[in-house]
Amino acid sequence: MDRPNIQGQIGYLTLNSEGAVLASEGDLKNDEKTAGILHGLITLAHNRLDPKAFDKGFKRLTVTYEDHAYVVCLSNRKIHIVKRQVQAT
Amino acid sequence: MENNLDRVMEEICLDPAVLGCLFADQQGLCIGSKGQASNETSGYITAIANQVAKLEPNSKMPVVTLENENQICMIQKADTITGAIYKKL
Repeated sequence: MDRPNIQGQIGYLTLNSEGAVLASEGDLKNDEKTAGILHGLITLAHNRLDPKAFDKGFKRLTVTYEDHAYVVCLSNRKIHIVKRQVQAT
Repeated sequence: MENNLDRVMEEICLDPAVLGCLFADQQGLCIGSKGQASNETSGYITAIANQVAKLEPNSKMPVVTLENENQICMIQKADTITGAIYKKL
């Protein structure tokens, strides 16, 4: 699959809507544990937030640690997860 | 403790971009909310924070950010308290 190389990317995972790993690379290669946890997180977060303060489903979910982050996007019935380094501010 | 929390929530809501904030305890029960954040979602906020804690148990607790076109929701757990801040973009 043709994927653009994202700056600072250290791994990626592509899952189907059931959470099965379709593709993976780098730090997240065959990382079923991370896939399972982030799939559970999406299931939890989807359309459950306060409708007054957060009126639609989310477009992007980010889990930010001190020096890296997991960025999760949903597109074409697939879950795209990128692990990337973040600049300390 | 409630007075301190009230003061912190007031400080958070001073930012004009903030729509509301919410704090929950370990069991997901709301201990304070201000602005448009309703206390009904405190359980979900805690569940999201607990789910993300499984990702890297040895790292410092990350910040979970959910974004759509207009709003952003940031969730972080600190010790036994989970906080969520809703902001407009």
